[in-house]
Amino acid sequence: MMRPAEQRAAVLAQLDQACRRVRADGRSGARADEYARPAARATGFSELDALLPGGGWPAGAITELMPEAQGIGELSLVLPALAQLCGAGQHVAWIAPPFLPYPPALLRHGIALGQLLWIQTLDARTALWAAEQALRCPAIGAVLAWPAGVDERRLRRLQLAAESSGSCGLLYRPQSCAQQHSPAALRLLLRAGAAGLHIDIHKARGGRTHAVVVHPAAAA
Amino acid sequence: MLWLCILLPPLEPAALHNLALWALQWSSQVSDGHDGSDGGAAALWLEIGASRQLFGGADTLRARIAVELAALGYSARLGIAPTPQGAALLARAGHTENATTLTALLTLLQPLPLGCLALAPEQQAALRSTGLGSIGELLALPAAALARRFGPGTSHTLRQLCGQAPEPLRMLRVPPQFSSRCEFSFALTDATALLFPLQRLLAGLQGYLRSLDRAVQRYTLRLEHRQCAATCLEIGLARPTREAALLLTLARERLAALALAAPVQALGLAAREFLQPLVLQMDCFSQSVQHSEQLQTTIDRLVARLGAGAVQTLGLAADHRPERAWTALTAQQHTAVSAAPATTMPARGVPPLRPCWLLPEPRGIEAPQELLAGPERIESGWWDGADIARDYYLARGAAGAHWWVYRDLRSGAWHLHGLWA
Repeated sequence: MMRPAEQRAAVLAQLDQACRRVRADGRSGARADEYARPAARATGFSELDALLPGGGWPAGAITELMPEAQGIGELSLVLPALAQLCGAGQHVAWIAPPFLPYPPALLRHGIALGQLLWIQTLDARTALWAAEQALRCPAIGAVLAWPAGVDERRLRRLQLAAESSGSCGLLYRPQSCAQQHSPAALRLLLRAGAAGLHIDIHKARGGRTHAVVVHPAAAA
Repeated sequence: MLWLCILLPPLEPAALHNLALWALQWSSQVSDGHDGSDGGAAALWLEIGASRQLFGGADTLRARIAVELAALGYSARLGIAPTPQGAALLARAGHTENATTLTALLTLLQPLPLGCLALAPEQQAALRSTGLGSIGELLALPAAALARRFGPGTSHTLRQLCGQAPEPLRMLRVPPQFSSRCEFSFALTDATALLFPLQRLLAGLQGYLRSLDRAVQRYTLRLEHRQCAATCLEIGLARPTREAALLLTLARERLAALALAAPVQALGLAAREFLQPLVLQMDCFSQSVQHSEQLQTTIDRLVARLGAGAVQTLGLAADHRPERAWTALTAQQHTAVSAAPATTMPARGVPPLRPCWLLPEPRGIEAPQELLAGPERIESGWWDGADIARDYYLARGAAGAHWWVYRDLRSGAWHLHGLWA
């Protein structure tokens, strides 16, 4: 526990730093909302971070992950970032996942199980509602969801919810959705390769598209 | 003594009682009844002489009460005077000025017409027949003459009005448990239509809790139907609160998910167990405190809509059988208990490699074409009858997926049990 005096000093130091950053950004003409919150959370894979605008999973936005099949490493791809969030005291909500997020495996990935919320819903509509509620909560750093039958309007609602709290919305969708228009900040196509997971950046707001990286599969 | 009188259009006794409970937050002395005038207006009296300083003075308190009444959809008139009759009279006359002393009250009364007095119709008629114009003129008459001419009742009322005779009011006794109810003149068929009456009932609960400095962690809604048994909804929270707005949000989620068994004739609200409220320091820098508040609110909302079992946290269980190596705890239990970290690494060694997805039930499959790693033999559970004997492998599935499969050592059948997602 910090003493009040130390706490005050730490807060003042943080404020001072923030002010400096604001002034510096003002000179370089950065937009006001860019320092309001971290623009991205590192994925834990430097090859991928290097290609993503902001250097990681976009915060306060929706990311779509579209794996070719289930069980190719699509979950392991986000686990380092989730472990980091949990370590920072944030929570992670799993909205109606297709299978049980298996605690022994998650623990091995360094995830503090107490920070997870496993939310089961009866149907796709309530799942969307729950995802939106979770995304609006600033204490929940990331929301994983498997939305079914969503249109652009629904996605936009989720995007707005994420913007309001600064959370990462990670949506798993089938690859058939790739052609659908989406307000997501980042859209990735995933498939299994001989050397690992192939990631095709289908869309990246403010970044390059169609880059491909390889990430060592978690199954090894 | 200083009295604030709230005059309301005629109300059901139950609704007035609920408002009296609501008013307890401003004063420990509340009385509900009728103002005695012709129109039969419902009236609440609050003794605010002792509490007004707490709320920033009589003017501030009056404005605050007016705003809250308006928010609850009541059109009320307020008056403040040193006597209950005087406060009611000023409210009836629509006076916005407060009379904090008897002298001030008399000054304000002087010009008011006789019709403002709370008297029976025949007494009113008797007064009108005299040709007197205002209350001032009436009060100027000698007391003995008044009593002789208009009867002791009128004279006594006037003496009470001016503070010359005591006016005993029946004070509300604070009940040990909260219970409030409201009946509808026509049956409601839509659960969302219950929100407005519920908002009023919850306002009553909030006032009651504030007066006792207590909070609730659960409350019951009772939806009464004409033909069938009442529907009871238990609404629980992760932490005690007394904020009507939060309590309403949770009820809204529950009602939205509810299919009404029958039209609703009446709505009841009850709370029996009261707790110390958790007083949080509202320190704008302690983000973690705010976060935990926001998390509680979110969990409460989810639980209200999805049910208590739908929001869970995960943990490990000490069992070698994969399907039993984990546990789930409802999030409300978890956050209520969670001082200790829910799960830590098992004490002995590194846990075995496991896939991120576990299938709820192992799924029978053909013998896999390609086994990439294994076997890991798991034999366990002979003591409880659910024993297993399996060889687990990592296998290659469709589209390059990695499957966690096992061969049952007894039947030889292959099963898919997990995915290395």
